Amino acid sequence: MSSEFILVVDDESHIQHVVSLKLRNAGWEVETAADGEEALHAMAARRPTLVVTDLQMPYMDGIELCRAMLERPDLCDVPVIVLTARGYALGDEASELPNVNAVLSKPFSPRAILDHVDGILNTPERAA
Amino acid sequence: MFQTLTRTMLSATAFTAAAVAGGCLVSWLLGSAMPWPSLVGAGIAAGTMAAVALAVVARSSGAFRARLESTRTAEAVASAPRWLRPTARTLVGCLERMAVREDAWKTRERDLEIRARVAESGREQAEAVLAVMDEAVLVVNEFQEVVVCNAAAGRLLSCDSEAAPGRPLSDIVQDSTLRRIIVETMDAQSTGVRQAELMLGEGADAIACEATVGCILDQKDRVSAAVAVLHDLTREREIAQMKSEFVSKASHELRTPLSSMRACVEMLVDGEAQDEGTREDFYGIIQTETERLARLVDNMLNISRIEAGIIEIDRTRVDLGSVLEQAVRTIEPQASEKGQTLHADLSPVDLNVSGDCDMLLQVVVNLLSNAVKYTPEGGRIVVTADSDNLARCVHVGVQDTGLGIPPADVDRIFEKFYRVENYKRVAKGTGLGLNLCRHIVETVHGGQIGLESTLGMGSRFWFTVPMGRVEAPRVAA
Repeated sequence: MSSEFILVVDDESHIQHVVSLKLRNAGWEVETAADGEEALHAMAARRPTLVVTDLQMPYMDGIELCRAMLERPDLCDVPVIVLTARGYALGDEASELPNVNAVLSKPFSPRAILDHVDGILNTPERAA
Repeated sequence: MFQTLTRTMLSATAFTAAAVAGGCLVSWLLGSAMPWPSLVGAGIAAGTMAAVALAVVARSSGAFRARLESTRTAEAVASAPRWLRPTARTLVGCLERMAVREDAWKTRERDLEIRARVAESGREQAEAVLAVMDEAVLVVNEFQEVVVCNAAAGRLLSCDSEAAPGRPLSDIVQDSTLRRIIVETMDAQSTGVRQAELMLGEGADAIACEATVGCILDQKDRVSAAVAVLHDLTREREIAQMKSEFVSKASHELRTPLSSMRACVEMLVDGEAQDEGTREDFYGIIQTETERLARLVDNMLNISRIEAGIIEIDRTRVDLGSVLEQAVRTIEPQASEKGQTLHADLSPVDLNVSGDCDMLLQVVVNLLSNAVKYTPEGGRIVVTADSDNLARCVHVGVQDTGLGIPPADVDRIFEKFYRVENYKRVAKGTGLGLNLCRHIVETVHGGQIGLESTLGMGSRFWFTVPMGRVEAPRVAA
C-alpha cells in the first residue's frame, strides 16, 4: 500500500488531526490540506486513493473541489467522502456528484468514517 | 303684510277671470237670441254672481279650515254655517284620515332618511376600511364584472382601482388561475371558501400571494357575488428565508466545535490516542471547543435577548476609562503572547456615560480580542477614548496594525455569522462577536459603531456611547 494514501481536507485543524489519526491507526498513510486549493495542489503531486473533505472551507469549498476533480481525467474516479456541518441542501448537492460516495453529517463518528473508507475501498474486514 | 295684499290681489284677479269666463259661458248657452253686448253683459253679471258665491264658500271653508286646524273637530264643525255642516263633517273625516296618513308618511320618510344615512355611513366606513387594508379585496358580481377593487388590489393586480368597478373581470385580473378560482367558486353555488397560493405577474417581478375566495349570497341564498381576498406573501417568504439562513448558519457554527469534541471523545474511549501527548492534545481540544461552544451559545442568546427586548440591563453611571483599562488588562496576556504592544491612550476628561458596565466591557474586550487575532506578531494596538461635548457622547477607538478588512466586507462585517472568507484560517471566531457589539452599542445604549480600514495597514473600530441618560428602545427589565 506504499503508493496509496488518503487525503483529509478540512479548515479545522482539530478535525484534520483526529480523522488523520483514526485512519493512520488503521494502517493508512494520510496527507492533510486546509482547503480545496491546497488539496488540488497535493493531488497534482500524487493521486490519492480516497479523499475525505469538509464542505465549507475558504478559498475553494468541498463541492468545488469535487467538481474540479471530475474535470481531471486522473482524479475523476477518486472516491470522495464528504463531511458537512450544513443542513440537507448542501449535502444533497454534494451527494448528486458522481465521485461523492458518502456524505456524513457533523458531528461525525471517526469510526463511521473508517467504516465508509473500508466499504468503498473493499478493505478486508478488520478484527474488532 | 305684503303677502296678504298679494294673496288678495290674486284672489280678485281669479274672481274677475271666473266672472268673465262665466259670462262667456252663459252667452254661448243662450246662443245668438240676444245681441252680443247684452249677452256678454248678462254673462258677466251671472259670472260675477257665481264668483261671489264661490268666494263666499271659499272664505267660509277657509275660515272653517283654519278653525279646524286650531280647534277641536266638534267645535270646528259647529263653527261652520249650518248649511255647510254635513259637508263639513265629511270633510273633517277626510281631513282627519289624511292627517293620520300624513303623520305615517312623515314617520316613514324620517325612518327612510335615517336608514339612508346609516347605509351611507356604513358604505363610507367600509370603503375607508377597504382603502387602508393591506390585503387586496376584489368583489365580482354574477355577471363577472368587478364591483369593488380596493387600493391594495389595484397595486397587486397593476390596475387603476378607482376605474375598475363595472369593468369585466378578465380586464382587471390578468392571472388565469385567479380568474378560474373566482369563477369556479361562484359556479359551485356554496358558502365554502377556497384558498390557493398564486404567483401574480411574471419573472423576477412575480409576487407570491395567497388567495381566499368566497361567495356572497342574496336573501334567497343565490350567489350574487364572489369576494376574493389576496394576501401578499413576499414579506413572510423573506422572513422565512432569513430564519432558515440563520438556523443553517447557527447549526453550522454549533456543529463544528461539537464535531471536534465528539471525535476526540470517541478516540479516547476507543483507546486510539495511544501516547500521553496525543491524549493531552485531545483533552486540550475538548476544553477549547467546549469553551467555544459555550461562548457561541452565550452570544446567540444575548443577541436574541437584545433583539427580543427581554435582556436585563444594569444601567448605572459608568466610567468608560476604567472599563477600557480593565479590558486592556484582560487581553494583555494574549497580546504579549504574540509580541504585540497594547496600551490605552485616554483623554484626561470626564469619560462617564450612562450604561451597563458589563455589556460595555464585553464590547471593548471583543474589539481588542479581534485586534489581537488579526494583527501579526509584533503589531501595535491602541485604545483611545475622548469625550465629544457637542454630540454629548464618549468616543472610543481601537486601532491596530493588522490585516485590514477588504472594502467589499466592510459593510457586512457587523452581520450575524459574517466572516471575512480569507481570514477564516487566520483565526477562529463565531461570526457573532461584532454583531453582539453592534447590538450592545446601538440597541441597548443608543450609540453608534463603525470602522475605518485600509487593507494591509490595519483597522480602526470605533463606537460612541451617549453621556446622558438614554432610554434605550425596546428593552425591558
